[in-house]
Amino acid sequence: MSTSSDIVTRTAKSPFEFKSAANLLRIEREQSRTLGELLRDLHTCPDSSIFQHTFRTLQEHHFIKEGFSNDFAHWAYTEVGAVGLGERLVSLDVREFTNIADLRARLENIVSDFLSQNPRSRDQEAVNPFYFCSADTVVLPTEIAAHSVQEFIDGLRKVSVHSIHYHFIEARLRRELETNDFSIWLRRDLGMGGVATRLNQIDIYTSTAEGVRKQILRILEGPLN
Amino acid sequence: MEERRSAVQSQKELGDQRSEVAGVADAAVPRPKERRAPRISETPPPPAPPPLLQDYAPIIGKSQLDELYFLSTSVRGKNIKMVNSTAVGGGVAEMLNRLVPLLDELEVHTRWEVITGGNDFFEVTKSFHNALHGAEYTLTQAAKDVFLQHNELNRQRMTFDEDVVVIHDPQPAGLIASKKDHNARWTWRCHIDLSNPNPDVWDFLKPFVEQYDATIFSSPSFARRLPVPQYLFYPCIDPLSEKNKELEQAYIQGVCDNFGIDCSRPVVTQISRFDRLKDPLGVVQAYKMAKRYVDFQLVLAGGGAADDPEGNAVLQEVKEVVGDDPDVIILNLPPWSALEINAIQRASTLVVQKSLREGFGLTVTEALWKGKPTIASAVGGIPTQIIDRLTGVLVHSVEGCAYQIRYLLTHPEFAQQLGRNGREHVKENFLMTTNVRRWLLLFRILLGVN
Repeated sequence: MSTSSDIVTRTAKSPFEFKSAANLLRIEREQSRTLGELLRDLHTCPDSSIFQHTFRTLQEHHFIKEGFSNDFAHWAYTEVGAVGLGERLVSLDVREFTNIADLRARLENIVSDFLSQNPRSRDQEAVNPFYFCSADTVVLPTEIAAHSVQEFIDGLRKVSVHSIHYHFIEARLRRELETNDFSIWLRRDLGMGGVATRLNQIDIYTSTAEGVRKQILRILEGPLN
Repeated sequence: MEERRSAVQSQKELGDQRSEVAGVADAAVPRPKERRAPRISETPPPPAPPPLLQDYAPIIGKSQLDELYFLSTSVRGKNIKMVNSTAVGGGVAEMLNRLVPLLDELEVHTRWEVITGGNDFFEVTKSFHNALHGAEYTLTQAAKDVFLQHNELNRQRMTFDEDVVVIHDPQPAGLIASKKDHNARWTWRCHIDLSNPNPDVWDFLKPFVEQYDATIFSSPSFARRLPVPQYLFYPCIDPLSEKNKELEQAYIQGVCDNFGIDCSRPVVTQISRFDRLKDPLGVVQAYKMAKRYVDFQLVLAGGGAADDPEGNAVLQEVKEVVGDDPDVIILNLPPWSALEINAIQRASTLVVQKSLREGFGLTVTEALWKGKPTIASAVGGIPTQIIDRLTGVLVHSVEGCAYQIRYLLTHPEFAQQLGRNGREHVKENFLMTTNVRRWLLLFRILLGVN
């Protein structure tokens, strides 16, 4: 059983280097005017579009905690009025996916199932089309590195929400693991397996990015107090 | 400067005025039957010096500022040329006035040049502009010749030795003919909505656009299918400009006192030109419907009526419909009223933008940035900014607008949450610093240093 003084004095085997990411949006060729076209375009659009409209859109809307999940769900609700489909899409949790192919397949399944049950919805015109986009991304270093849990806490207070998104949410695809950079480092380099597990259980869909930052800090500061 | 002071009081003076009347503002004073004429400035103020990057740190945070410095490292020392058709007036010039010094400060040497042309050229390009927005237009060979001739004259006058050349809007699009003679990477930044262009004009311009290395649009819905990469740059506002910077409460109160706005009662505002497409008459109708249920004042503030016969006609119609209602305040302001507009927006309980058609709708961005619960039509770029019932409320009719005014005025907690989310949405996506980030990313991509 670790004591709080053990944890405070523990030095990581390797430092945690905080990074961030900057993205430039690109407009892709695909435009869906109906749910049938959405299904077609989900199949053919680039991986980067699936990433943009699920993972990345969470970063763009990081300040909302009242029901924004992904762009496909939002479009189904507001532009097509397909509430049943919107509900199913909104419940999709990107953290269940460690690669884009599986995420794409799940999206296609949800839309395809809905259209099988509601064939008349296939050709219903949306108020506005769904415009597929993607992003060119640059990973940015920061000057912030942590060698201990206290330095990690200090760093986490300073970094941008983009950095939190990069390490906490996008890391799953980069690492192809159902975890995040913070949990991996805390478990591997500081032996804080319990804390690592608790971080991974934070619900990103019912909290803002700043709220996620506060929850992480609360979990980390628990063992120190 | 002296003229400006005599016409519009300084922030301090207006603050003093507020303290003089503070004692009576709290009391239940009957409204004056006739509002005294507001003091409106007749001359433009001198331009404020452009801000430095460091000035944005309190707004976006040091970490995001550091990200800009890092992004600039690999394009530091590169030379960029921006070309447009006017140095003053209009959103593009306003944006370049802020963008160019900020890029320069990051040591991305940016030169801004303006093309020249006679009246014939600018008449043709104005017609092109309207036609690209979907207006009826018969494209003649003479118009094509004027466009080509002036682009060629400018091309011969200008040099293109930079690393990246950015051409803004259709007027200088023909300068692309110089691409073959230089090593620069060329980008066309289109600020207008091309979703429904006049086919003849677009067919004429498209071969020029297709020669660029990249294009930039303000919304996916404004873009055309093109064989070159298309990037998305949302229009942006400068949080440090006169129209958007923080103001002292005393100054806001002073402006409201000057214009006869009672800050102790709810204020619903639409800021826009007196233009049918902004539907000021629809706003007045919505006001009349909602007013049966809730007490509030309506402020319609904008310009465009002084030098535009159509604008003046709309203004007169609005005044006629309003009649002698003392709770509707109509302000026809000169173009240099940024501080006053800022103050009115900040004094508002709700902001409305009930346009029938819209470009991106930067007045919505301004309102959201000030944390104001905003009700706006789902047209143009507005749905990009207003995520319905999350960052504001979208409406499609006068009745919808009236209902949402009633709802938000009677549900202030929900309204405040919309305001908070709206401000964060602007901070993340529609600020000048976000645009600097986009330009740096684009330069890295175009120059292959990504």
